[in-house]
Amino acid sequence: MLEISRVEKAYEGRNVVDDLSLAIKKGTVFGFLGPNGAGKTTTIKMIVGLSRPDAGTIRLEGRTPQDPAMRAMIGFMPEAPYFYEYLTGLEFLKFCDSLFPEIDRKPDAVYTKTLAEVGILNAANRLIRTYSKGMRQRLGFAQAVIHDPDYIFLDEPLDGLDPIGRRELKEIIKTLKSRGKTIFFNSHILFDTEELCDEIGIIHQGRLLYSGPIGHFTKGKSLEERFVETVKAASPAKA
Amino acid sequence: MKNILVIAQNTLKETIRDRILYGIMAFAVVFLMFTVFLGSISLGEDLAVIRNLGLAGIYFFGMVVTIFLGASLMYKEFEKRTLYFILSKPVRHRDVIWGKFLGLVSSVTLTTILMAVVYLAVVAAKGGGVDAVVLEAIALQIAEMGLFVALTIFFSTIAAPLASTLYAILVLYIGHSLSLLTSAVKTKPVIVQKIVLVIYYLFPNLEKFNIRNSVIYGIRIPWPELFLSLAYAIVYIILLLLAATAIFKEREL
Ligand SMILES: Nc1ncnc2c1ncn2[C@@H]1O[C@H](COP(=O)(O)OP(=O)(O)O)[C@@H](O)[C@H]1O
Ligand SMILES: [Mg+2]
Repeated sequence: MLEISRVEKAYEGRNVVDDLSLAIKKGTVFGFLGPNGAGKTTTIKMIVGLSRPDAGTIRLEGRTPQDPAMRAMIGFMPEAPYFYEYLTGLEFLKFCDSLFPEIDRKPDAVYTKTLAEVGILNAANRLIRTYSKGMRQRLGFAQAVIHDPDYIFLDEPLDGLDPIGRRELKEIIKTLKSRGKTIFFNSHILFDTEELCDEIGIIHQGRLLYSGPIGHFTKGKSLEERFVETVKAASPAKA
Repeated sequence: MKNILVIAQNTLKETIRDRILYGIMAFAVVFLMFTVFLGSISLGEDLAVIRNLGLAGIYFFGMVVTIFLGASLMYKEFEKRTLYFILSKPVRHRDVIWGKFLGLVSSVTLTTILMAVVYLAVVAAKGGGVDAVVLEAIALQIAEMGLFVALTIFFSTIAAPLASTLYAILVLYIGHSLSLLTSAVKTKPVIVQKIVLVIYYLFPNLEKFNIRNSVIYGIRIPWPELFLSLAYAIVYIILLLLAATAIFKEREL
């Protein structure tokens, strides 16, 4: 269970996340949707412990993100990730995995299996410097799931991927869901994220406009149509 | 502890895969060879010249590598947001700071040992031997480099690489002039002396790590003095890294 309660975060005196509360049950795939600059990345950074809320609390199975034991339970894929360019993809994946408290070392086969799943096994021993944007995105995903966490946080996971890449990654997310993983992902693109989510949250200008089952929100219309309606209704009228 | 070592190992990889390091090392080796030529035109003072210039060269190139790599170490992590990968895992801020420190110290120690080997080979080729004091000089240089790794890590948690480099050079300059400075102000007004006293205690006294003159004359440094200098470096490093960790924790990523 992830519980976000009355969280606020301000940058330069402006609340970019305002009084945000969410409760996400274990095993849910939650899509956190909103236009650019809505506060999605700011929120996910607070959840994974990269920044602290100015007010409010975040608890994952009762632990705060500042507790390393909480962060041992999660995987996080940053938005448009940068990497250590001097490492190979395989080295990077091992480096990430070795930051978790595990006693026995895994055989290389575990890493190559994950690299194969995200479709970059053929580049495993190449320097990340030579990777394309899509390959970086796939590697970013791989490091978020390498230690088999129960909770997975993805910031714009489908960004920068071609249609085939998007399909492949969505299939992996569905597989993870079927294995009981809780997945929280940010997206500003709606048209092909709908099929993934059990629940959605809509955020606009730092405020939550809706959260709950996706069906309750769309009421028969397309997600995109309802989204635009909702966001427009919440924006101050433009002169 | 494990995380510190994992990050240290990655930092070592980062620095030894940096082409700039090899550029500077190539310069250093060429310079050490060149001391032979300078020795040969100095009329019978070959070894003294080689020893003198050689150690100065190792020091100079060692400090260049240290400051150059150190000034961008943390900055790159902030800039490239690679910290997002690290700090969202069960890693503490102090693990990152100490890991970076140990990693860079290992790589500058390795490069210094490499230069020292070339230096000793050149000295041996000219009929000189290995004095214990040479090894002491190298050990103290490594202590000073460790201090500068900590210093540049500290600076680069708050400043851009160019600024960190300039601050480091400033500390290097002042740190080697402290004794000169205190004796120069003896006749000056009390207020000036007080200011210099503050500077004296704030800045590291880097002359403690400079025994290159003793090498020329083959004078051993007594053990207690050697240990005191090393302890001084260690205390200074710990304070700097504690401060760097405190700043790092508060920084918005
Ligand atoms: N470190 C920061 N300093 C100042 N403003 C920031 C910072 N991070 C984000 N913002 C601002 O906060 C708002 C929300 O940003 P973000 O959470 O990245 O949005 P999203 O991920 O939904 O596109 C934006 O207006 C952005 O400019
Ligand atoms: Mg974002």
